[in-house]
Amino acid sequence: MAENAANATQLPLSEFDRAYAKWRSDYSGQIGNDRPIRNRSGIEVKPLYTPRDWSGDRYNDALGCPGQHPYTRGIYPTMHRGRTWSQRQLIGLGTPADYNERVLRILEAGASAISLIPCNSAFRGNDCDEVDFELLGTCGTVVNTADHMDRALRNVPLDRISAAMNDPSPFTLLAFVLATAKRRGVLRTAVSGTSNQSDYISHFVANHMFYRLSLAGSRRVLVDHVEFCRRHVPKWNPISVVGQHMQQAGATPAETMAFTLSTAVQYAQDCLERGMDIDDLLRRFTFFFDISISFFEEIAKFRAGRRIWARIARERLGAKDPASCRFKFHGQTSGVELTRQQPLNNIARVATQAIAGVLSGLQSMHTDAYDEAIATPTEESARIAIATQNILREEAHLCDVIDPLGGSYYVESLTDQMEAEIEKVIAKIDAAGGMFQAVASGLVQAMIGESALAFQEKIESGEQKIVGVNCYQAADDAQADRPTQRPDADRMRAHVEAFKAFKAQRSQVEVSRALDALSRAAGSKNENVFERVVAAAESGVTHGEIVSCLRKELGFGHPLIVA
Amino acid sequence: MGAPIATAPRRLSLVDRIRAGDTAALARAISLVDAGGAKAAQIHRRIHPLAGRALVVGFTGPPGVGKSTLIDAYIAELRKSGRTVAVAAVDPSSPMSGGAVLGDRVRMGRHSTDTGVFIRSLAARGHLGGLSPDIHRIIDLMDAAGYEQIIVETVGTGQSEIEVVEIADVRVVVNAPGLGDDVQALKAGILEIADILVVNKADLPLADRAVRQLENMIRLRKDGGRTVSIVATIATTGEGIERLAAHIDELGRTGRRHAGRGRSRMIRLIAQAAAKRVRDRLVAAGAPIEALASDALSGRIDIEAAAAMALAWLEEKPQGDRLKGPAGA
Amino acid sequence: MRDASPRQWENPAMNQLSPPARILVTKIGLDGHDRGSRIVAAYLRDAGMEVIYTPPWQAIEAVVKLATEEDVDVIGVSSLATDHLLIPKFIRALRQAGLDHVGVAVGGIVPPDEIPSLIAEGVSCVFGPGASRAEIISHIAELAAQSRRNRADDLLEIP
Repeated sequence: MAENAANATQLPLSEFDRAYAKWRSDYSGQIGNDRPIRNRSGIEVKPLYTPRDWSGDRYNDALGCPGQHPYTRGIYPTMHRGRTWSQRQLIGLGTPADYNERVLRILEAGASAISLIPCNSAFRGNDCDEVDFELLGTCGTVVNTADHMDRALRNVPLDRISAAMNDPSPFTLLAFVLATAKRRGVLRTAVSGTSNQSDYISHFVANHMFYRLSLAGSRRVLVDHVEFCRRHVPKWNPISVVGQHMQQAGATPAETMAFTLSTAVQYAQDCLERGMDIDDLLRRFTFFFDISISFFEEIAKFRAGRRIWARIARERLGAKDPASCRFKFHGQTSGVELTRQQPLNNIARVATQAIAGVLSGLQSMHTDAYDEAIATPTEESARIAIATQNILREEAHLCDVIDPLGGSYYVESLTDQMEAEIEKVIAKIDAAGGMFQAVASGLVQAMIGESALAFQEKIESGEQKIVGVNCYQAADDAQADRPTQRPDADRMRAHVEAFKAFKAQRSQVEVSRALDALSRAAGSKNENVFERVVAAAESGVTHGEIVSCLRKELGFGHPLIVA
Repeated sequence: MGAPIATAPRRLSLVDRIRAGDTAALARAISLVDAGGAKAAQIHRRIHPLAGRALVVGFTGPPGVGKSTLIDAYIAELRKSGRTVAVAAVDPSSPMSGGAVLGDRVRMGRHSTDTGVFIRSLAARGHLGGLSPDIHRIIDLMDAAGYEQIIVETVGTGQSEIEVVEIADVRVVVNAPGLGDDVQALKAGILEIADILVVNKADLPLADRAVRQLENMIRLRKDGGRTVSIVATIATTGEGIERLAAHIDELGRTGRRHAGRGRSRMIRLIAQAAAKRVRDRLVAAGAPIEALASDALSGRIDIEAAAAMALAWLEEKPQGDRLKGPAGA
Repeated sequence: MRDASPRQWENPAMNQLSPPARILVTKIGLDGHDRGSRIVAAYLRDAGMEVIYTPPWQAIEAVVKLATEEDVDVIGVSSLATDHLLIPKFIRALRQAGLDHVGVAVGGIVPPDEIPSLIAEGVSCVFGPGASRAEIISHIAELAAQSRRNRADDLLEIP
């Protein structure tokens, strides 16, 4: 507004300026109390955006057309109108048989992609006979051997269904999948999917339960894993850089995107040092983000992310193939924003987050069930979560137009501002020596801690209202008394007994040999550790044994705990 | 007339339970002693004669050098030879709220179920110098409980380094290179305090230089100084820990113990308490001291002379309400 | 998930304990998220309490040993995922070690239908993620005061 006034002294007032000035004056007169509003990334949000904020003359530079550098409007020419985003609902619970039941039903309902979440005990690197029984299968499926994976994926055609494994280093779940494929005569070259939790840096920082091996050890195994997959499992995406953990830990959307892109740069550089080809590598890079309910901010975050990544890939990493510059991402509606009060409200929240995700141009999406944050979703709530996506597509026709918010004065303006914020944080990480150094020193953790506290204060003070929690409260729904589903204890007990029996009667010689080979590979400079993990999986070695062996050789993963 | 009357089991006293290895009793006693007061004094009177066998090792140094991780590795080394160890880990209290987050034992998780290791976190509770005046009582409790080594960990903030000298048999000052100021370790007086200087995080680039700087400092000292050893360590991997333990053992064998330990500190504490009494009396005295102060302000007498006169006045206090001037006046 | 605990805690003029209350903030089980427990530790420190803080994945045996050595007044267990399912086992272990007087509070995510059984086992309160700073501080302070009152007297017999 100030600049309009300045212009006014230079040039004759245009029709627009006149109208704008009038609006400004009417607005000030009627608005009453008007404090500045900032979004989560700290960017001030004005009441109105106009061509003065963003005009179309930077279209080619800043936007491009879908499928063209810098991909701001979308990474493919057709986007959702050509092929809708894939519905990839993450599931995991109970025994492999329990999982199989649910996954077959999902496939029947038309899903083309599946995902497996292992039990928390497995995340910690343990087998089911090493932890308190009460905790088994409550948050994920207990898969400790190739046999277990085979059972979990019974009747699932591995050569046609894309399978995402939520498995951190050393990626035993993929090893079990490959062992299963071998048994079924399915070629490795036909297996497709993603290592969803390959991002050890995000675990070290923001999801300690997933952090198994030391930082240096994780770094080594990741590159081995990528190398192996590029060579033997070409349809598999070995790297998924996960922004979700950091945002859930309290990083702002701009910080999250910056940290995630910096992590991607770090991984790319580590792989380049190993001699891999950048284009071959980047083709299989994917990203995994939380979608918060800060609607426009999320859309701007992803559009800016696409633009920045395209530039980084080309200019910083030296990619030649345009396909390498595509920012492919999976979005999950943010579970930390769901409330326990009036849980059905969460359906509206998830729908809002999902709309933001669709309008952001994501490639695949998981919508949370309304009770997801309390316990593993029920059949009913899982169905509603999928229906939400279907409604957005079929009834709201959100797929009909590519990047429908493109050209919006607000959204383009905000995209530019988010880009600036993100670049600022990336510069800080670069100054600290890159993402690996930045997290080893605790810099990233400190930044996230501050943002988390700041947001918490906003909630405490009531500045950020949350329906049902600090405003519009009501007595809790009757939902509260519905019993939480827990895995069937008898089936789980039988599963654990069968596992112990399996260990007793498998070939101990083969197991020892495989573990020795694994140790040797880990101790060597040039052998591929992941190749030995796959071989171990095929020899009947268990998940816990593999992780334990590598922890011994490469170091136990102690997250940086700051009291 | 027959069977002896069964006597009710005598309830063991707190002190007996401590000596018998009851960790809950030791922990309770520490709380009571740390709280100060009559009970604390009572406990200490009973405990003090029972103490005197343990070797007390003090670890101090600036924040961020890895003291707790180092101690964790050192404990592991001690446990290899089966020695029992108690740790008093002291952290500063918030000057504003009086509360504290005591996170040192976060780094000592290796020993979380080892009954041969006793770890107690203490907040400095506003005591200048970072150690409560009763730390020697807590050490005596751990000593009486039978722990062979007692480790005291404090954050080095000037005053507390002196405190560590006074309560420990072996004093270890820990530093790490590249904390923005690798001369930080070389503050005046550090060589007077330390028996062993540790350069931790020895894998960092500036470690060699830090070690050399310390070696030079020692070499350039006036002769007659006590031997100071330098040990480079990487606490996270255990490198250098065996050497550190050997040095500590050596000093433990040859150095002074218990009787001397804490004496100079006690003298200082008594002097501090006495000084407070003197101050209170002088302040209450009113006019005579006001006059002294005016004279000192105007330069007629200097402060040292004023102090001597004030003390003399106090000595003959009951009568003197008028100060004699400088000798003879 | 965020929660404003519906129960109203009496809030007497909060006289701080002397010596300050000693609170253990810990995590048992498998989950590793410490964002919440870190924030609560800071709240309690700012309210004048001494907080002993542990990393996640503590064995129950280790927590019992720690609580004994540190002579804590209250144990705050941070539980996300399903770790609260271990609470009954945990409280039994505390009792067996003679730590009956220590108050136990749980913070984090617990399905509403599973809260009553936790209370029945001896947990004094379950805080959801949206519980306010004031509630948490007030309740923990009250628990600590209770713990001091309940301490076994026999330990006080000195000579």
